[in-house]
Amino acid sequence: MSAVPALGAERRLVEAASRLALPVALVAVFLLFSALAPGFLAAANLQSVLVNNFTLLSIVAVAMTFAVSAGGIDLSVGTAVDFASFAFVSLVLAGQPVPLALAAGLGGGAVVGLFNAVLIAGIGISPFLATLGTLFIGRSVQQLLTNGGNPVYLPPAGVPESFHLLGRGSLAGLPVPLLIAALVIALAAVILARSRFGRVVTAVGIEAEVVRYSGLPLKAHLAATYVLVALIAAVAGLVLTSTVTVYIPNSGNAFLLNAIGAAFIGTTLHRHGRPNIAGTVLGVLLLSLVANGLLMSGLNFYWQQVGTGLLIFTVLALSFASRKV
Amino acid sequence: MIQQSTQPIIHFQGIEKSFGGAKALSDVSLTVHRGTVHGLVGQNGAGKSTLIKLLAGLHRPDAGQVEIDGEAYDHLTPHLVESLGIHFIHQDRLLVPSFTVGEALFLGREPRIPGTPFLDRRQMQRRAQEVLQRYFGLSLPNSALISQLSTAEKQIVQITRALLDRPKILVFDEPTAALVKREADLLFTLIRRLRDEGITILYISHYLQEIEALCDVVTVLRNGRHVATKPIAETSAAEIAGLMVNRDIGDLFPIREKSPGAALLTVEGLSATGRYRNVGFTLYRGEVLGLTGLLGSGAKDVLRTLFGLETAEEGTVTVAEQAPWRASPVQAARRKLALVPEDRRRHGVALDLSVSENTTLASLPRFTRLGLVDRASEAAEADRLITRLQIKTAGREALLRTLSGGNQQKVAIAKWLSRHSDIYLLDEPTVGVDIAAKVEIYALIAELAEKGAGIIVLSSDLPELIGLTDRILIFFRGEIAREVVSDTITEDALLAEVTGSSEATRYVG
Repeated sequence: MSAVPALGAERRLVEAASRLALPVALVAVFLLFSALAPGFLAAANLQSVLVNNFTLLSIVAVAMTFAVSAGGIDLSVGTAVDFASFAFVSLVLAGQPVPLALAAGLGGGAVVGLFNAVLIAGIGISPFLATLGTLFIGRSVQQLLTNGGNPVYLPPAGVPESFHLLGRGSLAGLPVPLLIAALVIALAAVILARSRFGRVVTAVGIEAEVVRYSGLPLKAHLAATYVLVALIAAVAGLVLTSTVTVYIPNSGNAFLLNAIGAAFIGTTLHRHGRPNIAGTVLGVLLLSLVANGLLMSGLNFYWQQVGTGLLIFTVLALSFASRKV
Repeated sequence: MIQQSTQPIIHFQGIEKSFGGAKALSDVSLTVHRGTVHGLVGQNGAGKSTLIKLLAGLHRPDAGQVEIDGEAYDHLTPHLVESLGIHFIHQDRLLVPSFTVGEALFLGREPRIPGTPFLDRRQMQRRAQEVLQRYFGLSLPNSALISQLSTAEKQIVQITRALLDRPKILVFDEPTAALVKREADLLFTLIRRLRDEGITILYISHYLQEIEALCDVVTVLRNGRHVATKPIAETSAAEIAGLMVNRDIGDLFPIREKSPGAALLTVEGLSATGRYRNVGFTLYRGEVLGLTGLLGSGAKDVLRTLFGLETAEEGTVTVAEQAPWRASPVQAARRKLALVPEDRRRHGVALDLSVSENTTLASLPRFTRLGLVDRASEAAEADRLITRLQIKTAGREALLRTLSGGNQQKVAIAKWLSRHSDIYLLDEPTVGVDIAAKVEIYALIAELAEKGAGIIVLSSDLPELIGLTDRILIFFRGEIAREVVSDTITEDALLAEVTGSSEATRYVG
């Protein structure tokens, strides 16, 4: 009998070790690039990591985390980013007030989410295939809307002042886009971990049939999840457009793979391996630091993808290897 | 009278098999003779399926050996079994629905055009048609999809697949459970014909009538032991039923004040094509009502319909005085119905959620303030139910997969206690539950009934049903064949009713 508590303690240790893989990797990457890449540690560089790499990806990855929590995936997050961006730009160009244009942008993203909701909750298509279809359709729609993919520029003169606040403004010394990302992260963390909706979504991801057999509306939760994912991604689209003052068709897909990577890396932080916002955010931070660090150390741009891939393997392998001990 | 050779083809010798601590087979010895139809009967848990899985090479015996055709083996493998010419026809061993008939028939042994890697589709078509014509007098195009076939046709495909291999032994596991009478009769004719051609048939069934009509010899298993093997001419359905019943079960069931109150749930004229017909009954407060029937008898479909998982085409379900509703699990739960499903690990509890998360899953609104889960009151509720149901767990934060089957089942029930449900639908509530937890679950059911809940127990465990319930509705081929008062029926008589051999029983008894 005396071996039992010892085993329990050992298991707890192993569990803790497997959850440490992500934070340890983060610190290691930080130290590595501080040593290797001159200028990596400079305040200006670190701020640029946060604003240029982290902000938008963290919002999209947070969106993705909800889809993964519900046991699915959303390959069309980039489509929601683009649709939001397109609707926003179109209304600003048409001379509409910025708040209305922002609302339209969220609406543009919501259309993508509703479309997914119908496919997944209504018709019962698997999230992977449904959102893959949406991705393709969204791509064509954007090309049709822009004469084959021409960017829509906002002329610097024709844009109201309030527009710039969102993308380039700062509040109490902090860039507004970063503050928006922080707000999205905080709200998402509360919704996923503390709210009733988040609890049910988590249960759907773990065993959807149990949710149905418990008398809960499974389809409504699935539908709401994919609309929420698209709405959050739409926020990223709005921030993106405000920053660069241009809508480039199909540019949102650039976030897709990193968002998926971050959400799955993030699961290693959770005691039971569930998708979680804190983990996703650390995952995004890790990917952002690696991208920037590789760039700063003068490595060929194309090697960055290799670095990112190796890193994802390493974190997941460390976590699972220590779990199996 | 059929010419019976006395030559043994299958001989089980001293077979032992345990799963964990539970003994599934003890010292089973049994001989099947060449060219006979050999029936194998026993209640759920008697060891039939374990024995068949041993023969199929899916389990390895702990002790003993199997002789096939005079050759002794300590264990078999699926591959070896197939090469020995033993084939299994099982309604649950599903064919891949998206395959064509041809693909399903030749899966894994496709004939090739000699000298090439290409499939010889012409030969496949010819050989399939040959067998289909000869034994079934019908032609199924090789290009038809499995999913387009009826249950009977799927079975024909399974049998054809086996016959293409010129088998020596065919094992039929509950082959008629999903067939209508006419199809079953055709199957019997086929089986007799195969026997006359020298194929040995092992036939497993709950229907004692079928065993009596079809088999040459019958073997009865009970509690993992071989009870008897008799020529069918020297026995009767009533005797077989008597041999099957487990008479040595202790007094597990609580004594309960039986005083049914007001009507709680009224079912009228419920019908669904192919599943059940004109089902009607009333459940009263404080009552434990039993449902039973064989696989395919409709009892389970009715239970699932009550919870909105299936829909009836006609009829109404009324809870207390409220109007009938359009069925869905959401609506059912709102009307205070609770379902504890048979497949606990897929439908009852989420193994990777914690005890606490599972316990409050159906009652989250009670623990929600402004959309957020109030963790303190949720924890208090989980602790309360862990104590009340004596759930053995490392704590409320432990994942369900770390609990034993019996304790998982208690959580599946606790979920509905937390929702303050009134009508409990329990589908095989003690399957895979150890005896200690079983007794606690029985006590809990009695306590709920005494407090005024209505409880429906669907079970194929007959002693459980008699011990636990006030009344039993016996389903047979989609209808309530009989209603009995639990105190007044013996296990033998109930088994006879369930298997449709009651005529024989009355004759003797």
